[in-house]
Amino acid sequence: MKHFIINRVLSGILVIFGISVFSFLLIHFIPGDPVKIMLGINASPEQVEKLNHHLGLDKPLLVQYWQYITNAFQGDFGTSLKTGRPVLIEILDRFPETVKLAIFGLFVAVVIGVSLGIVAAKFKDSFIDKMCTAFATLGISIPSFWLGILLVLVFSVKLAWFPIANGTGFRDLILPAFTLGVVASTMIMRLTRNGMVEVLSNDYIRTARAKGLDDGLILFRHALRNVLIPVVTVIGLQLAALLGGTVIIEQVFNWPGLGTLAIGAIMSRDFPLIQGIVLFMGVMYVTINILVDVLYSIIDPRVEMGTKEA
Amino acid sequence: MQEPDTLDVHKTSMSIASVITNHLGGTLLTVNADTNEIESNLAESYQVSEDGKTITLKIRQGVTLSDGTPLTAKVYKDTFDRILNPETGATVAASLIGGIQETSAPDEQTFIIELAAPSAPLLRNLTSRGYLQPLSMAAIEKHGADYGRNPVGAGPFIFKEWVTGQSITLERNDDYNWPHASAKNQGKAYPDQIVYKFIQDQQTMLAALDSGSIDVAMEVPPKDVQRYRDNPDYYVIEAERQGLGLFLEMNLENETLSDLNVRKAINMAINKDAIIKAVINGEGTPAYGPIPSAVFGYDPNVESYGHKLNKDEAISLLEQSGYTKNSNGIMEKDGSELTFELSIMTQHNQAAQMVQAMLKDVGIDVNIQSLEAGTLIEKVSQGEFQLSFLAYSYIDPDILYLLFHSSQIGGLNHVRAQNSELDGLLEKGRTTIDPEERKQVYAQVQEIVVENAYWAPIYAEKVFFVVNKRVQDVKLMNVNLDYQDSWVKQ
Repeated sequence: MKHFIINRVLSGILVIFGISVFSFLLIHFIPGDPVKIMLGINASPEQVEKLNHHLGLDKPLLVQYWQYITNAFQGDFGTSLKTGRPVLIEILDRFPETVKLAIFGLFVAVVIGVSLGIVAAKFKDSFIDKMCTAFATLGISIPSFWLGILLVLVFSVKLAWFPIANGTGFRDLILPAFTLGVVASTMIMRLTRNGMVEVLSNDYIRTARAKGLDDGLILFRHALRNVLIPVVTVIGLQLAALLGGTVIIEQVFNWPGLGTLAIGAIMSRDFPLIQGIVLFMGVMYVTINILVDVLYSIIDPRVEMGTKEA
Repeated sequence: MQEPDTLDVHKTSMSIASVITNHLGGTLLTVNADTNEIESNLAESYQVSEDGKTITLKIRQGVTLSDGTPLTAKVYKDTFDRILNPETGATVAASLIGGIQETSAPDEQTFIIELAAPSAPLLRNLTSRGYLQPLSMAAIEKHGADYGRNPVGAGPFIFKEWVTGQSITLERNDDYNWPHASAKNQGKAYPDQIVYKFIQDQQTMLAALDSGSIDVAMEVPPKDVQRYRDNPDYYVIEAERQGLGLFLEMNLENETLSDLNVRKAINMAINKDAIIKAVINGEGTPAYGPIPSAVFGYDPNVESYGHKLNKDEAISLLEQSGYTKNSNGIMEKDGSELTFELSIMTQHNQAAQMVQAMLKDVGIDVNIQSLEAGTLIEKVSQGEFQLSFLAYSYIDPDILYLLFHSSQIGGLNHVRAQNSELDGLLEKGRTTIDPEERKQVYAQVQEIVVENAYWAPIYAEKVFFVVNKRVQDVKLMNVNLDYQDSWVKQ
């Protein structure tokens, strides 16, 4: 167990190191002089030199990276070129909104995914099952921004049920969370359905049926609990994906989270902020993945065995 | 609209910051919406000395900043000193008052500006929104680095709240009774508060307008304007943008383009109306000179002497220069075809393709090279281009100094014009204070630029605001909305 965790953490650190190198080099990938591009057409040579110095771009590459990484470890990701505020504060201002959206989206995904999965398994191979499969296929093929725009058009513009760009209250949350949830629910639905179908054909379910137990009881107490283990893992992984995948949804619904911050930073060529967001999201993603792996190995000890053999 | 960087008007360079802070402060002078002439505002009168180097302004009395500081000449002096202090790092604000040597406040009401040389753009700059409003040094000291999120001023509204990523809320200043002379309502503003919401995506903004989440949409794309004109629930306010929405720059250092006939032929081959119709849905005006009618100094004669669509003339000009059409239908001289590279940013792609087809009609072959904005600007300012598209906006004809004066090669003088007569006129335009005389100077400038066909001007754009009829009497002032007389139907 301990060995497994250490392994995961070490490989996580390696990935984060890679991300840090990449986000650091970002500024050096830009064709032309990035400082001139940032300052625009009217920049004087003094301004260029000043910003070069401010960003530390006049030092050797390795020195720059060392400074970048030591500062980052102390929570200093530099200051935003646009607002002059610390990058970390800009990120932490927005991050809770993204978390809120992702968690609520995940909730919608689990509710839709698990319930449709159970229904589909219960009525295996019937019309209902086919409809559920069709829904899953549709959900996975529809681009989320398209679904978002459609929902805005119908529920905000035509029916005026939900406001747009009105804040981050519960009513504002429904449409974006639903959009995120529908797309994320498809995988959970397929997994639940297939798991259920497999479990329902087991001997102990037949025994339960033979005992004359209620159908609902069999479904929820005997079958579902066994299906949930892989579903929980997927849910964990989905959370990490949702945190990163809100970028487009945030843009469509004007949600003030990390995604809109990232797009704004790219538009205004705010490189320290872009670097900060890339690194921050990378660390988040890796951390959640490690946590999910560890949790999974606690729930299902077979996972650990598997890694050892490999 | 975008989220501003800061509401410290000395440190921002975003126009949205000037739009918002304009409600929080006021300007010394203002521009009459009908006559485009300069009028007094927070300065109740102003005087320019004989030599044009001293401007004396009498500050209006009874004005108070929202932290209780009374508005005096000293407040203005401190404000200007802060802008001129390099440690402040002022960008736009500093450029607006460039040329000021020093300011003084001999008594409470008198504010004197001393210039190194007479500066005509300065008076007009003193009317620009937001940037040059009087600030409270006490508030700046109190809030320190956070001042940009706690601004104080002498305007009809007071800063209330900034929710990062979402909105800025301003509430009415109940003590306000010093609006500009042309407002009907000479007391405090009618609206209780104004909420500026940051919506980055234009279509999301329009959806918010349609759903009633917002009442006013700024910078509405031309293609969406008509459906609001047709909708009785909204009204559209439009203004001509101060600047050109599109023009073609020609690099004079290119051997082929150094031939005036070629540049004129390019001008005559371009159908401006067709481009306006396709690119901005017909919502613009064809441009014949380097400045549009919305900018001071515009000479209407440019419409008669400017180059117009005339393909036959274009072809004969090319023939005069020794070009003949080859079997591919391309003009050719000494065995080489007349071919140019047109460098653009992706947003100008449609216009570029149209120009490509139009030039092909007269036998000029054009290759379009699409570049990232930053790269394009760097290349054109270094003269590494043949043809390029650009747009600008600016409130004063002095922009022409930046665009055509020989000292600006390497900067905005992308075409690399070196014309001593033009240089002289552009210098004179900067220092001529008398408006009539100044107009004459710029009339000559426009003529030289057009005659030499440095550019092919294409169109001047409009700015559109769409307002829900719930909100009445929103007015236009200086290409921006004014809410002094506005009220909301309940």
